[in-house]
Amino acid sequence: MNAANSSQWLQPAFNDPVLDAQTSFRSALKALAEPGLIQPLNRALALENLQPATYALCLAFLDGDTPLWLAPRFDTPAIRANLAFHCGCPIVAERELALFALLDESELTDLSDFDNGSERYPDQSCTLLIQLDALSNGAALRWRGPGIKDVRSVELPLPAVFWQQRQARSAFPRGLDAFFAAGEQVIGLPRSTRVLLNAEEAA
Amino acid sequence: MNAQAQTQYATEVGYNFAYLDEQTKRMIRRGLLKAVAVPGYQVPFGGREMPLPYGWGTGGMQLTAAILGADDVLKVIDQGADDTTNAVSIRRFFARTAGVKTTTRTPEATVIQTRHRIPETALSGDQIMVYQVPIPEPLRFIEPSETETRTMHALEDYGVMHVKLYEDIATFGHIATSYAYPVTVDERYVMDPSPIPKFDNPKLHMSPALMLFGAGREKRLYAVPPFTRVVSLDFADHPFEIQRWDECCAFCGSQDSYLDELIVDDAGTKRFVCSDTDYCMQRRDLEEEGEQ
Repeated sequence: MNAANSSQWLQPAFNDPVLDAQTSFRSALKALAEPGLIQPLNRALALENLQPATYALCLAFLDGDTPLWLAPRFDTPAIRANLAFHCGCPIVAERELALFALLDESELTDLSDFDNGSERYPDQSCTLLIQLDALSNGAALRWRGPGIKDVRSVELPLPAVFWQQRQARSAFPRGLDAFFAAGEQVIGLPRSTRVLLNAEEAA
Repeated sequence: MNAQAQTQYATEVGYNFAYLDEQTKRMIRRGLLKAVAVPGYQVPFGGREMPLPYGWGTGGMQLTAAILGADDVLKVIDQGADDTTNAVSIRRFFARTAGVKTTTRTPEATVIQTRHRIPETALSGDQIMVYQVPIPEPLRFIEPSETETRTMHALEDYGVMHVKLYEDIATFGHIATSYAYPVTVDERYVMDPSPIPKFDNPKLHMSPALMLFGAGREKRLYAVPPFTRVVSLDFADHPFEIQRWDECCAFCGSQDSYLDELIVDDAGTKRFVCSDTDYCMQRRDLEEEGEQ
């Protein structure tokens, strides 16, 4: 895309870049600190097919230090132009290089190339921003771990293959952290959460 | 500082909200997300120079600046007290650069920055604790090399921590470590809970509040999410114990808070008072109400 004529795609981002970014971050922090609880995230407008919560996560997290991988569904001139203008994040074609990845449901069948950190630097891993149509009405799974007092039942509408992929990429402290966004809501799923697929089986 | 003594400071112009620039806040925020996702792991971050020296809470202040919002109510304590130099100046700093409300009352605060204590009043799920940490690496006194300690964390090689505690027992007959007492977070990382007295260690376990730790000089941050298992290291025959006093607080009569020892005259007479000034004040207010 030619940068010279990308201005036609530009839309306003946060109304208040400082306080809206802070509010969005706090929602995301609470979502990750208390996995499975729905947090509001309504400080941005939708950008093309990026829903408000998804776009707010992008605006709050991304800048020149964060290479981003875009799922084909989100790889549009408007999204590229706005992310370039408001965040200035490099967009990478190789999943291995990404610190953040913007995914939709169809991309959840293969997470093998995203960086899950190293034993010495588990923080240097990719964070998945996953946009779904809804955050409920899926199969109820029981989540345990830090941030959950006992057990929390979460009904994310995700294909079973996602949980297999997540399991395959988990070797704590290595692993992938995910945010699930839909509409103006977000749910966090840190690598530390243990998801029980049924009574005995742990994934 | 009493409630009525809290003047509203004029917000400074020429600074970004809460002093730090947005790029720095984003970098710290991304670090905090990773710290929450890997409880007890020390995330390196690009620490900035703050307008006060290392050792005065620059790490805690950078974390507070990154999380603070316009609606937050900030409490700052130093060794439990709201009225010491460090606490007063940090509270005033954020009142002036962010214009946030400040308080000394624990239940009213949404963000509590602390140096070396956890409030006696039970915390809630809507509160975030920010700890000022001088030396974040619990293994540092045993192994000075950062590459070595990083490998030890990666391999979960924590045997030396027990050797250190054992040497206490061999020398003194009991575990003499009384502050910065090492803990295991969610059965994985050994973590320095910052120099809080070991009296406060049980409050970290399954706390409803999010705990964030910032070390400015060492440029590390780490976290304990709410409802996380935090276990103090010990031995089967020398179980972890907290400090106890035969005395009670001279002001409020509390028998279960952490007490400071005061020498009150030349003859060396000792009195004990609550280290948590707000807790002590709340109890005295209650007593007064009861008398009326």
